[in-house]
This record gives sequence, structure tokens and C-alpha cells, in this order.
Amino acid sequence: MKVLEVQHVKKAFDGPDILKDVSLSVESGDVIAILGPSGSGKTTFLRCINFLEKADEGTMWFAGKTYQLPRITRRDISAIRMRTGFVFQNYNLFRNKTALQNVTEGLIVARHMDREEAEQIALEQLRRVDMIDRKDHFPSQLSGGQQQRVAIARAMATDPEIIYFDEPTSALDPELIGEVLSVMRDLASQGMTMVVVTHEMSFARNVSNRAILMEDGVIVEEAPTSEFFNNPKADRTKAFLRMLSSYNEG
Amino acid sequence: MSERLIGILVDSFPKILIPGLMYTIPLTAISFAIALVIAILVALVQFMNIKGLRQAARFYIWVIRGTPLLVQLYVVFYGLGQLGLLLPPFLAGIIALSVNEGAYCAETVRAALESVPKGQMEAGECVGMSYMQTMRRIILPQAMRTAFPPLSNSLISMLKDTSLVANITVAEMFMAAQRIVARTYEPLAIYIEVGVIYLLFSTLLTFLQRKGEKALNTYEFR
Repeated sequence: MKVLEVQHVKKAFDGPDILKDVSLSVESGDVIAILGPSGSGKTTFLRCINFLEKADEGTMWFAGKTYQLPRITRRDISAIRMRTGFVFQNYNLFRNKTALQNVTEGLIVARHMDREEAEQIALEQLRRVDMIDRKDHFPSQLSGGQQQRVAIARAMATDPEIIYFDEPTSALDPELIGEVLSVMRDLASQGMTMVVVTHEMSFARNVSNRAILMEDGVIVEEAPTSEFFNNPKADRTKAFLRMLSSYNEG
Repeated sequence: MSERLIGILVDSFPKILIPGLMYTIPLTAISFAIALVIAILVALVQFMNIKGLRQAARFYIWVIRGTPLLVQLYVVFYGLGQLGLLLPPFLAGIIALSVNEGAYCAETVRAALESVPKGQMEAGECVGMSYMQTMRRIILPQAMRTAFPPLSNSLISMLKDTSLVANITVAEMFMAAQRIVARTYEPLAIYIEVGVIYLLFSTLLTFLQRKGEKALNTYEFR
């Protein structure tokens, strides 16, 4: 079942085009890894489809409706965001709220849930990411990996149809990456629909079912994961994978 | 020190302290509360870049910061009086002080709002909260935490500025001191005495500031 389809997304900041014409279709249960060198536009693409940036052109189909990205209304944006989750590179936990409050905040304020119900959901999600014993800690009292796990619980709590991950491990110390990836792996195995911008090749290879290589604002290659890694078609993909493997070896 | 002087000082202490409690403290508290409301509104209008209102906010800050408080007091009390708007002196004092302080505090609050990382707003919007909901529950509380020490500074400095309203016939501490000097011809002792009482009040505020900061320190930003 199709969850999301975006077509012909274009975006320029002051200067050259960051996104030249990017389309993506997501089926329920998909875990899509978007790879690419920095500056390729992958983060901008993710931000455009959650309206953190305004796309210059493009359409979105979501939950039975089609929207024009440059002209989408505030009301439509918040309706869509009610059904999606977003995990940031630098976590962006609310600094004035505890871990528990970070998860309940959106439920209580945006969805008008009563506190008890919200806390029940939050506790369940914090248990899922193994953060239950730190539920009353403020973000500043948590490690990066712990903060990111709370951020994932926060995104999960709203029962989203899709979660976007924007380089969720890039800001972490190497020894903390594993705990976040393992939480994401669990989500994937439970059928969560995920679009993940990442540099973690092992995650892309082992967890995603489709992989995308972006460069210079276009999709260079999109293929089922095993095909992408074992039998890439585009020369750019081959070069990219070769560069990564030499980096990993060296 | 002569016995007479000690007698005058002891005698005048309550005569200065009581107007302090009746006028100086309420003037400070009420004006600062209003100033804070003005400051937050004026800061938000600029931060959110609301057309028209933003320019009005800049104009207000420009005028108020560029003119002496004493002049502002005279305009509100004597100036408006000439137009037939005769305000009671205490009320005129509150208006001038809060409008004046509001301009300074607005800049403090605006800077504090700008110091909150952009990602906090994005995170709020991504969990479905509106701009205003995120502003009220996430951004403003963090900004006010940052603004607390400089705002405390402003409060203490305002406490002392209330002495200027003696000029518009409010019988606050400083005016009480002036009257005692006129009667006793002991300016040095009496003006030092009133200074000590101001010092007492501001020390109390400093103490409260420290307590407040400790209470707000439940979460420390990185």
C-alpha cells in the first residue's frame, strides 16, 4: 500500500539548485536509505517533504490527497505532520522538558490528549527505546545516544504512518551509534515505514529494503538494497561504493 | 557622632522606610510587571517579524532609549496635564517607568529569543504543535531562563530609578529624605541613610535573584 508519493521536487536557496527534480514513492513497511556525499541535497529533500523547507516546485500525495508543495497551506501542513514523525541529526529534544515530557508534549498540546493517557503512551515508547529509567532526566543530563533514543520515542508516540530520519547518528560519538541503530533496526523489523538519510552503510545494507544514491540534487540510482550494493547500474554508484569500501579498509 | 545626629537618624529611619514600603516597592513591582509584559510583546513582534508592528516596535525602542527617563516622567505628568489629562502622580510614575523599562527589557528578551536554537521550533512543529504553541511552551520558557539574570539587573536598576518620581510629587523615599533634610539641615547623614535603605532593598533583590536562578537551574543548557 502506498503511503507517500512526492514528485518533481525542486528547491534552490540563494544560488544554484539544491534539488533539481527529485521524486520518491514509499510503500507501507518500506525502509528507504538515502545515501550520498554531503551537499548532494538529501537532507534538504527530507526537510522539504516535512515542510521544514519550502519546496519551489513539486507535488505530494499523502493519505489520499494531493498537495502542491509550494502552495500548501498551514492547515494541511499541520494535518500531515500529525501523521508523520521526524528525527533530527542533533536530536532537538526540548531542553526545558524531561525525557517523559518530551514525548508527552506533542500528545497533550497538539492532540489534546489527557495527561494520563499521554504518559501511558510515552512510558511505553520510552520502554521500547530502553530509556524508561531516565524518564525524568533533562536532555542536558543524557548522552547523545540517549537523547536520540528519546527523540525516536517522541516521533513514535504520535503513531505516525512514516518516520523521517535525518542523519540520526551523524552527531554521535562512535561508541554511541550502535544503540541508536539497534533501536531503528527494531522499528524496521516491526514494520515501521522509514525514510532514512544516512552515512551508515552497514545499516543501509542490512536494514533497508531500498537504497537511493543522491548527488547534485538528483537521484542517481534507486534500487532494491541487495541490487544497489551488489549490482549497481550507474557508474556514480559504483564509484561511490568503491570510495566507501576503500575508506573502510584504509 | 553627636547625640543629636544619632537622634535624627533614628527618628528619620521609619520616616524614610515607610514611604519606601508604601511607594518605592509597589512602584517598582507594578512597573516592572507591566514592563515585562510590554517587553515580551515587543520582543515577539520583532522576533516573529510581523510587518508594520515590527517597525512600530523599533520606533518605540529608539525613542525611549534615546531620551532621559526624567524627561519622559515630565512629559507624562506635566505634559499630558497641559492637555487636560491630569494623571495622579503615582499613576504617571507607573506609566513612565513601565514604558521606559519595557523598551530596555524588550531588547533583552529579543536577544534571549534569538539565542534559542532554531531546531527547538522545528522539533515542536514536527510533533504537530503550532508556531504559537511551540513559542509559548518551548521557546519562551527557554528564552526567559536565559533572560533572567539581565532582567534581574534591570529590576534592580529600576528600583533606584524610582527615586526620580520625587520630581513629579510622588512622596516616595527620596522625597521623604529631602523633606527631612530641609527640616534638619543634615544632608550628608540623611542622604547616606536613604542610600543605605536603597542598598538594603537592592540587596534583598540580589538575594532573590540568586534564589530564582537556582530554582531555574533544574535544567542546564548545553
